[in-house]
Amino acid sequence: MKYLVLGASAAGINCAKTIRSLDKEGEITVVSKDDKVYSRCMLHHVVSGSRTIENLNFVSEDFFEKLDIHWMKGKNAKKLHIEDKKVVLDDESILSYDKLLIATGASSFIPPIKNLREGNQVVGFRDAEDVEMILQEYSHVKDIVVLGGGLVGIDVVSGLMAKKVNISLVEFADRILPLQLDKRSATTYEDLFKDNGVHIHTGVKAEEVLLDESNNVKGLKISSGEVIPCEMIIVATGVRPNLSFISENTVNIDKGIVVDEYCATNIADVFAAGDVCGTHPIWPLAVKQGITAGHNMVGKEKKLEDHFGFRNSLNFMDLQTVSIGIIEPVDDTYEEHIEEDGIEYKKIIVKDGIIQGAILQGDISYCGVITTLIKNKVDISKVNKNVFDINYADFFSVAEDGSYEYVV
Amino acid sequence: MKRIKIKQDLCMACMNCTIACMAEHNEQGKGIFDLDLTDLKNESRNHISLDSQKKPAPIFCRHCDEPECVFTCMSGAMTKDSETGIVSYNEDKCSSCFMCVMSCPYGVLKTDELRNSVVIKCDVCDGREIPRCVENCPTGCLYVEEVGVCL
Repeated sequence: MKYLVLGASAAGINCAKTIRSLDKEGEITVVSKDDKVYSRCMLHHVVSGSRTIENLNFVSEDFFEKLDIHWMKGKNAKKLHIEDKKVVLDDESILSYDKLLIATGASSFIPPIKNLREGNQVVGFRDAEDVEMILQEYSHVKDIVVLGGGLVGIDVVSGLMAKKVNISLVEFADRILPLQLDKRSATTYEDLFKDNGVHIHTGVKAEEVLLDESNNVKGLKISSGEVIPCEMIIVATGVRPNLSFISENTVNIDKGIVVDEYCATNIADVFAAGDVCGTHPIWPLAVKQGITAGHNMVGKEKKLEDHFGFRNSLNFMDLQTVSIGIIEPVDDTYEEHIEEDGIEYKKIIVKDGIIQGAILQGDISYCGVITTLIKNKVDISKVNKNVFDINYADFFSVAEDGSYEYVV
Repeated sequence: MKRIKIKQDLCMACMNCTIACMAEHNEQGKGIFDLDLTDLKNESRNHISLDSQKKPAPIFCRHCDEPECVFTCMSGAMTKDSETGIVSYNEDKCSSCFMCVMSCPYGVLKTDELRNSVVIKCDVCDGREIPRCVENCPTGCLYVEEVGVCL
């Protein structure tokens, strides 16, 4: 059996690893544009200088040799031919497959703001190359604007804080991390960043990049009318799936590649996993999709049982927060429970005995139970306790093999 | 793999397992007299929780067959050994994102009190023949048993 995996990040690596654990003989090839395996979610640690790209490797050094996987690095897929089951790469080499996984990920989207795409010092934040560009340029730079105050943008800000630069953050919503945090928890982080010299502009749009005659970045005009002087703009306003090698009317595409619960596409023997599917771009789902696809590619039926993407943990300036499920009550049928103690903040939203969402800031000990209760919609109405004191003891049960189970 | 098994009804919340875990991982020495219970550097990897009837439940890492902490780890710090089945944590690799803490379904994991930078995680006493918690359990609530296949 010939397996071809496009992409060597969370989904691709975990798929290849799964295939090898189930099929010792099969021929596995991984193709990736990256010439290293690295965790994209950790790139800001390279900006800060606390790690090198090599330190971001999330598998063992001998991963490919040990698992007998052929890795073609630094190469892109150029064309997928579904009829004859072949992929053409950008160096014109042709690879045939029996089973294909598309895990080509996504790329930074540079929005159509006037002059943004023209500016020389405008960079996304997704790939090792972006970080190299930032580290090369930043020594000539006094002021940097980070565009977008979502998770990636705030990662960038926290990475840049170790550097001697002025940082301005521009976010369209009324607060930073608007998908993860409510006003109270976002403000806590905003204040911490401001105390560390970061200029935060929320509730404003970027309108125009000011360039000199050689297209060097000079500033960013925002909707308040203010011009933020800057010599570099790092764009963190979202991503788009990498699909350019897929012809129209072949693989089904919506926000990304459409897959079923087996991570299979509409085309026989073509699977997809990770950010290229355009659903919830979080690491754990990419891993699980990769593992699920791997099973099904080998012919061992496995369904993806975890679709829960509304969860994130944040750790900026030594303040930890987790955000799970919804962050605000939808209407007055939702109960909102809040506990506050100084900087610490906990909010749990309940409707009809089911926890719908939680924000825990400051103390996240043992909080995986809340994640599970939200994800699995576990009924807590029989638990006679303050909602903040609920823990696994309330659902405790041990199976025959010693593993834990939830009993309601 | 070998797993620390639990008979909940035998637990009387004596916390011997918790003290044993702290003693075993104490950098100052493993004896009970080396143990300073106020030393925040020295946290237990297991804990006892109470349900609403105050019935104790020993919360111990299961070294799961499908470990959420490993699936969510983006740094490669959490790994499951395919031979021993043990889920190990390498704090040097850890990026302190704490996705594992958020994802452990049974609330076994927490961040360290002192630095808030690493995860407190069972290492099954790093090869010790009988884990210290099991050795110190006076009721027979905790015992080690081979549970067959792992991933």
